[in-house]
Amino acid sequence: MSGAIVVGYTATDAGADAAALGARMARSLGARLHLVIVLPSEGTRSAAVPPERAYEDVIRAQGKKWLAEAMTHLPQELTRSGHVRLGESFAEGLIAAGEEFGARLIVVGAAEGAGFGRHRLGGVASALVHSSPIPVALAPAGTAQETVDVVPRITAALGTRTGADVLLDEAVAMTTDSGTSLRLVSLVPFDVPPGLDTGAIRVVAGGHADEVLATAKNALPDDVEVSAEQAPGDSVEDAVTHLSWLPGEVVLVGSSRLAQPRRLFLGSTAAKMLRVLPVPMIVVPRTRTGAQVEGDLT
Amino acid sequence: MSTTPRATDSAPEPAPVTGGLSQKGLSAGTVGLIGAVVIGISCIAPAYTLTAALGPTVSEVGFQVPAIILIGFIPMLLVAFGYRELNRSMPDSGTSFTWAARAFGPWVGWMAGWGLIAATILVLSNLAGIAVEFLFLLIDQIAGSPGTIAELAFNPFINVAVCLLFMLGATLISYRDMQTTQKLQYVLVTFQVLVLVIFSVAAFVHVAQGNAFDASPVELSWFNPFAVGSFTAVVAGLSLSIFIFWGWDVTLTMNEETKNPEKTPGRAATLTVITIVVLYLLISVSLLAFAGIGTEGLGLGNEDIQANVFFFLSGPILGPLAFLVSLAVLTSSASSLQSTFVSPARTLLAMGHYGALPSQFAKVSPRFFTPGYATIVSAIVASVFYAIMRFVNENVLWDTITTLGMMICFYYGLTAFACVWYFRRQWFDSMRNIFFTLLFPLVGGIILAALFVITLVESMDPDYGSGTEWFGLGSVFVLGVGIIGLGIIIMIWQAIKRPSFFRGETLSMDAPPSLRRR
Repeated sequence: MSGAIVVGYTATDAGADAAALGARMARSLGARLHLVIVLPSEGTRSAAVPPERAYEDVIRAQGKKWLAEAMTHLPQELTRSGHVRLGESFAEGLIAAGEEFGARLIVVGAAEGAGFGRHRLGGVASALVHSSPIPVALAPAGTAQETVDVVPRITAALGTRTGADVLLDEAVAMTTDSGTSLRLVSLVPFDVPPGLDTGAIRVVAGGHADEVLATAKNALPDDVEVSAEQAPGDSVEDAVTHLSWLPGEVVLVGSSRLAQPRRLFLGSTAAKMLRVLPVPMIVVPRTRTGAQVEGDLT
Repeated sequence: MSTTPRATDSAPEPAPVTGGLSQKGLSAGTVGLIGAVVIGISCIAPAYTLTAALGPTVSEVGFQVPAIILIGFIPMLLVAFGYRELNRSMPDSGTSFTWAARAFGPWVGWMAGWGLIAATILVLSNLAGIAVEFLFLLIDQIAGSPGTIAELAFNPFINVAVCLLFMLGATLISYRDMQTTQKLQYVLVTFQVLVLVIFSVAAFVHVAQGNAFDASPVELSWFNPFAVGSFTAVVAGLSLSIFIFWGWDVTLTMNEETKNPEKTPGRAATLTVITIVVLYLLISVSLLAFAGIGTEGLGLGNEDIQANVFFFLSGPILGPLAFLVSLAVLTSSASSLQSTFVSPARTLLAMGHYGALPSQFAKVSPRFFTPGYATIVSAIVASVFYAIMRFVNENVLWDTITTLGMMICFYYGLTAFACVWYFRRQWFDSMRNIFFTLLFPLVGGIILAALFVITLVESMDPDYGSGTEWFGLGSVFVLGVGIIGLGIIIMIWQAIKRPSFFRGETLSMDAPPSLRRR
């Protein structure tokens, strides 16, 4: 058993997607799965509505029913449980649950209106990827319909800035725990100053990719397969669409420099990737849990 | 629903589902004293309530409005004590419906639920109607076009269209349980109270300076209910004044939700009612002093302005600052719309849950955790009701307020009697019980029942209230009887379609035994 995964569950399609991705990750990583519904305490999140315990009891009973139903649809061999939690906001409640269970990952689905196989940040997901201290996985719409049982490959999208280290460590840890292969994708072209000619970009990018590959290889057990790829394309979206994606693989991205220490903050590159990415994305914090804030030298 | 869990849905759970609570646990509530007072005032929505009820009350009792406000509070208080006992003994989101069903059985319970739903749907349509008028007035005041834009509010097509938009917005907010902060509520309520105080002070200043519309010196007799002269006028006024305190009971029924359940609810209820009564007296006395009760112009006796008096008086009294009143009424109606939506929706949810209505009503939105279906049904019914009324009856606002007062008497009365009957074996357990489970709710219930019956009989006269005549009868009578009659028809239909609730299988009658040792 390696860690725990918290799924932000609702009895909706997006909730089913999150549960499916959570189950896939749990099986791959050998983690315990916790489905969590966060209800408004005293029945409402509006200060204009009088608080009512009796109504809270109604939705709590309903929440338990939803969870029991959801768990019958999850793979029976997984260690899983459902929890009703009360919180001022769904995101806040999920983070609290994540901390309570010592989760290594919080999984949420896409907002209503996302096209099949696509991402769309809803309010909860948006709050999470801009504040969670725990990595957050975003399940694209339709994840629940996929038949992938385990994660076939882990891709890490790397840049040069601080944060890439943590990202790499997390990617290596996930690859080791899941016994799959790791693909490193270099996003360097988008980090260099505009105006630099393409030839120079290619040289810099190639050099960077080689460097990261070497670091990653050292950290990995010898039997783990690791590869590096440069993403060709004029824009982030273009590059992401040109990369090949295995059904069910996950891509890890780091947090922006705007992030608070040890917290997530979805950067602009990652946000652009999200628009076209056909697979789940996991956002990791910029600095290590428990580590001192590293000097931001770059 | 805590009182009678249903035995269905016993599918074995494959893995434990915990219902647990965050570290905070269940014990501590979140509402402090100030928070409870703010919720209370916000639910009563004094700015909206007064503009809607002052005119109709003046038309019944003339200068004695302050007296009616003072005595109108008494039945409300007595019934609220009963509410508190019931809520403490069997907290349930179905409130009146569940309590009346537990005490008197499914049929009475069903009708109490119906009364509550009908009353809240009436007030929803009235609230939206008042809000629309003030929206146009506000735009008019800001654009500096005296009267031309405000006049548009009285075009029935524009009025209904904007009102439906308003309702749609309120429905979305309620359906999504839109997160609003306590801070915003504090600001809105403070603003509302301040504006009302400024409004009445300005009215007094006009009176003192001798440029009031119809300066009427304040007399002690305004506070004397016996000066009204006619018993039926007092009854009509009282049934209206029930409406102005409606919503106050939430402060008493918030128990475990408060930080200190022993003290907060009582203190909050007291503070709220003092604030409200002082505010009501201030406004009614100042406006009476300013405008008198004449039937011409700005006189409060003028039928043309009675359905919405602030609309007509704010300009002459506050001049360029009149937009503040519009803003206060608008914000008070808007936040009251949201809290008002909650009660029919939750009662419908409880009725669906216990099988008194189709099970769709028991559906909880999986995204927003609100009674989604019930909320939408309430909104549609309120909208359709308002649209039809606006076209068939130009006195829609006035008549809805009067009918509303009657419906509140109906279901509050039933609830008060439910309290008395439910606790029948515990009446003499203690001195406290004699008062709170027997005497107070019984007297309150009798007063409300009497108000209901007398109003119903009086309103048969076509001259009653706004003076709208339907089928040779007063429109308020037709509305009241129509609503209750429709309730009975739907109840019988439901009894045929889903008999188990009506056989008492889902919600049984009960009376807790005496706790005294024998």
